[in-house]
Amino acid sequence: MLVIRPLQETDLEDLYGMAQKAGKGLTTLPADQDLLQRKISRARETFNQRCAPEAGLYLFALEDTEAGKVVGISGIQARVGLDEVFYNYRLSVTVNASKELGVHVRTPTLHLTNDMTDTSEICSLLLSDDYQGGGNGLLLSRCRFMYMDEFRKHFSEKVFAEMRGVSDEQGLSPLWDALGRKFFDMKFTEADMLSGLGNKAFIAELMPKFPIYLPMLPDSAREVIGQVHGNTAPALRMLQAEGFNFNGLVDIFDGGPVVEAFVRTIRTVRDSRNRYAMITSKAVDLDVPAAERVMVSNRSFRNFRVTTVPASCVRTDTVSLPPAVAEALQIESGDLVRLAPLKDRVKTSARAAG
Amino acid sequence: MWLVRPALPDDVDQILDVAGAAGSETARLSSTLPRQRDVLAEKIDYSMASLAGNVTTEAGRPKRFLFVLQSTSTGRIHGTAGIDARAGNSQPFYNYRRDALIHASHELGVSSRVDVLYPSHALTDQTLLCSFSITPELRNTEAFELLSRARILFIAGHRDWFTSNIAVEIQGVQLEDGSVPFWDSLGRHFFNMDFETADQYSGLLSKTFIAELMPPNPVYVTLLSEAAQAAIGQPHELTVPNLELLQREGFRAGCYLDIFDGGPVLEARTDALRTLVTSQPKTLHGTYEDCGDTWLISAGEGSGFRCTLARVANTLEGALKVPVGVWKVLGKTAGDEVRIAPCW
Repeated sequence: MLVIRPLQETDLEDLYGMAQKAGKGLTTLPADQDLLQRKISRARETFNQRCAPEAGLYLFALEDTEAGKVVGISGIQARVGLDEVFYNYRLSVTVNASKELGVHVRTPTLHLTNDMTDTSEICSLLLSDDYQGGGNGLLLSRCRFMYMDEFRKHFSEKVFAEMRGVSDEQGLSPLWDALGRKFFDMKFTEADMLSGLGNKAFIAELMPKFPIYLPMLPDSAREVIGQVHGNTAPALRMLQAEGFNFNGLVDIFDGGPVVEAFVRTIRTVRDSRNRYAMITSKAVDLDVPAAERVMVSNRSFRNFRVTTVPASCVRTDTVSLPPAVAEALQIESGDLVRLAPLKDRVKTSARAAG
Repeated sequence: MWLVRPALPDDVDQILDVAGAAGSETARLSSTLPRQRDVLAEKIDYSMASLAGNVTTEAGRPKRFLFVLQSTSTGRIHGTAGIDARAGNSQPFYNYRRDALIHASHELGVSSRVDVLYPSHALTDQTLLCSFSITPELRNTEAFELLSRARILFIAGHRDWFTSNIAVEIQGVQLEDGSVPFWDSLGRHFFNMDFETADQYSGLLSKTFIAELMPPNPVYVTLLSEAAQAAIGQPHELTVPNLELLQREGFRAGCYLDIFDGGPVLEARTDALRTLVTSQPKTLHGTYEDCGDTWLISAGEGSGFRCTLARVANTLEGALKVPVGVWKVLGKTAGDEVRIAPCW
């Protein structure tokens, strides 16, 4: 069974293995033991409420309970830009016009901003290759919205995600080469790695502060502004289906878009509902397609757990769970659990059932 | 003999010839000398009014002067040179100021210098030398020197009309095909017109269009094309003799650039200009001799201003002895005040 649970101290080895395999591109999870250890420690402090709620880093692990190992990770940063400066470019327009000459020129312009400061960010999503498909990615991503919904006051009203921008097989980013690199002689992969290590604000300090007029950049760079890396397209589609939209901000390094949504309007949040758990001794075939499954969370702050069960388990007021699932969720019969569709089609059947 | 005197209405046709002479060469090289007959005529009228004292800076209409280089033997005009008492002529005067920022990160142990061009009006209301043009065959001759330096003698004789700092814009790099790298990499994106058009507009129209179309924010040099970066602060090769003459005068390139072609703006302290410092008042006297070193001799106030070249045997005395022909050219007679400066 695949279960979402808070990241634990013992997950370091598995996490390091995953990060090593993932390679470049995942700036929030570099293959660096010390850094990963620090992240785990921060996540532990967060779940144990030993830090201010806004300083929290909520990291969730996807555990394969049979194999006893972590096969995925995802996270929520409660607030960005509180102890470092969080930079983005805002893609806006400058208009220069002269009536006298009949000239009216629109110039797309990048403005350096700190607009996302104090906003919650979903981050650090990584799923082992062996576990791709079958709705695992959806579970890993959407469980976060269930958590935010459950504990709204710990997060901002809005949540955003920075999508990975365009870079080629060699790790060259057209925007970085045309812009960042002119100010900071470093390869994109290095800069990217440094930002993963927590040095992003330092690099940003070396970047241009005045607006950048896009016509002064080569076409190759202009084309990738606001575009996602091919590998990230599915993740973008998933977030769009949740109600996330491009908010006009892009990453200062690779130009990847920032997408955002209000927590209350996220589809997983809107479509989730409470049921009482009823532990059933009847055999339940858990192995059904993703479209026919729903996510079940135990609603716990410290020990948040989510797994999926067939939508057919959902009744009017209750959800029947096999003992193994109840055990995985660490709940007892009669506990209130929260359900949300794993995939979009379940919405109708869940509604029909409830 | 060569004479520099204020431009007169009858000079219009000949000035247009000079402006258009040598094909596009001269034409291109003096953006502040209009090539439209009516505009030029207006400029001459304005210059005459300025010389006559009919315009004053107090009235918000700064003085502007236009002088011509004339051959006394043929009467032909071979060049022009102007002075704007206040750059911008009571409108903003645009330049880029080249400046630098250090982008440093203590944590990363990195520090790099970033060149930035800031839009600037700092030179507004400073005296500006302008409208210099000369027929190509006279470049680097005595007449060339006379035309350029006569303005400084004019300033020396009318010091109150001019500011304590003085500037001159030097045309920037333009390629054989007429393209201007600096413009193509920067201004073109915002003005949506070619260099020629923009340059003409800036000579003709009010400068409002620059305020409207020029990007309001500073520009990073490193984002310009390589050709544009190379052109920053560089003179057009045809202006090099002019540039060198101005450098001898004491002008130095500072941090200001032309906003269109990136050419340098030279600056100097007016009272330190070499022609001004080395000039001295003399009393005109006659002689039959025509020998000695060549000197610039200026005389007359306002519209009576004249400047010519003459050989002078002895400059140690208070009396300046020159042939009567020179008196005539200067429009002066024995006992009148003149001002002289040594030729280089």
